[in-house]
Amino acid sequence: MIGRAVRGLRAAGACAALVSLAGCATVPQNRRAHFADPMMQLTPETLDAARQQKMYDSREGAAGGDGAPSGGGCGCQ
Amino acid sequence: MRARYSPTVLGVALAILAPWQSGRAQPSGNPGSAPPPASGAAVPPAVPALSEAEILGTPDDGIHIQSVMTRITGFDQFGNGYQAQGGPTPLSPGSERATVLEPQAEIEATQGDRWRHSIHVPVDVVSMASTHAIDVMTTASKHVEAGAIDWAADYKMDAVTDATLLGGVHLENPFRSWHGGLAGKRAFADGDTVVSASVVEVFDWFDRFDIHGGRHGRTDRSSASGSVGITQILTPTTLFNVNYGFTLQLGELGNTWNSVPLSGGQRGPEILPDERSRHAIVARVAQYLPWNGALHLYYRFYADDWGIVGHTAEGELMQRLSRALYLGAHYRYHVQTGAYFFTTLAPSDGSLRVADSDLAPLGAQTIGGKVVIDTPAAGDFRALHFEVGYDRYFRTNDLQINVVTCATGYRF
Repeated sequence: MIGRAVRGLRAAGACAALVSLAGCATVPQNRRAHFADPMMQLTPETLDAARQQKMYDSREGAAGGDGAPSGGGCGCQ
Repeated sequence: MRARYSPTVLGVALAILAPWQSGRAQPSGNPGSAPPPASGAAVPPAVPALSEAEILGTPDDGIHIQSVMTRITGFDQFGNGYQAQGGPTPLSPGSERATVLEPQAEIEATQGDRWRHSIHVPVDVVSMASTHAIDVMTTASKHVEAGAIDWAADYKMDAVTDATLLGGVHLENPFRSWHGGLAGKRAFADGDTVVSASVVEVFDWFDRFDIHGGRHGRTDRSSASGSVGITQILTPTTLFNVNYGFTLQLGELGNTWNSVPLSGGQRGPEILPDERSRHAIVARVAQYLPWNGALHLYYRFYADDWGIVGHTAEGELMQRLSRALYLGAHYRYHVQTGAYFFTTLAPSDGSLRVADSDLAPLGAQTIGGKVVIDTPAAGDFRALHFEVGYDRYFRTNDLQINVVTCATGYRF
């Protein structure tokens, strides 16, 4: 089981390394206008993220472990 | 966020622009000095030179509130789980019926040019928690009010580096929790790449109950977490992020009142390991669509030493209908294996056991949507934000939740 997990993490790490190579081609500042649109935020705003974390962390054993604090709450693991 | 310019940079810019702006009237001479009057021409009144402080104001290290966000969310949960008592027989699953009302508020403020503070206050009002389970004997979890304060102070060390201090406290009837941590991020390649990392320690201290509702002192657990991530601009319309997180938990890792059906026809307490190592890796992509829309894709892989391996995939499609209004629709699928000691009927020999439906093998789906209005405003507010959303969560092992959320925000 852990072996599968390690293999998965290695594959994901390799993908991340490949994607980060794209950083060699810089996108100029004046072509980043779309990233200012709230629709393009990679993560939800704080309160929306908190209510999602509340919902999943206390109901799915595979939630959490992302490096964020998640103490407390009814039904916590 | 309001644009911030350092007085030095603006001063240099004004000094550069000054001769160009007045160059037609003063082809020579020192910038800012009065041109020599033409003979017979009226002498214009001398304009006193302004200092940087007069133009830009004096440096202000006071706290200025930038935004206030509020959100209220209602969770209405139905279902049954083997960890809950109160079923038709001692070995039957009991009710997991619960309603949760969760108001939240967040205030963001700046302090000088370098500090940014964020204070987040969530409150939970939980009622009807396990109405047919432990609450048959006690009110340990029937009605719970919980509150927390999370604080983050971000310090801009230079143009590309931020350091953040994290702290918080969580208060609940039988429960106290504290956390503290440190996070940092640094931009590279003209901001194309941002590398981030964080470490957080959480300490929980709570009452220990038995499965009949009796209180037996206090117990605790600690969670040490760390994460590293990279965010990359791939194209002018594509943003990518990958993040790896690790958490090590030690101590009492259950809520202490969950029960397990035993082969003798009775119920006993959960018996859990006192250590858990958890790994999660997340990849996110945001793609701008040419018809004023955006597509978000999310994948998460999870594994821990309790034998749980999970995969989560999510997609969200957003469409802007006007400058102020956009809609979003999302779908999430989650699948996980169960803990290696999960059971719905355990032997009475004291070996590891848990019947919690959250630790069972399961599949879960969430489907939902939202309407968002972001509109510029006049007066004291620069912008107003309104949002209303609905999610439906349903699981293969008998759990359904309806979630309604509503948010308002004010940017100053």
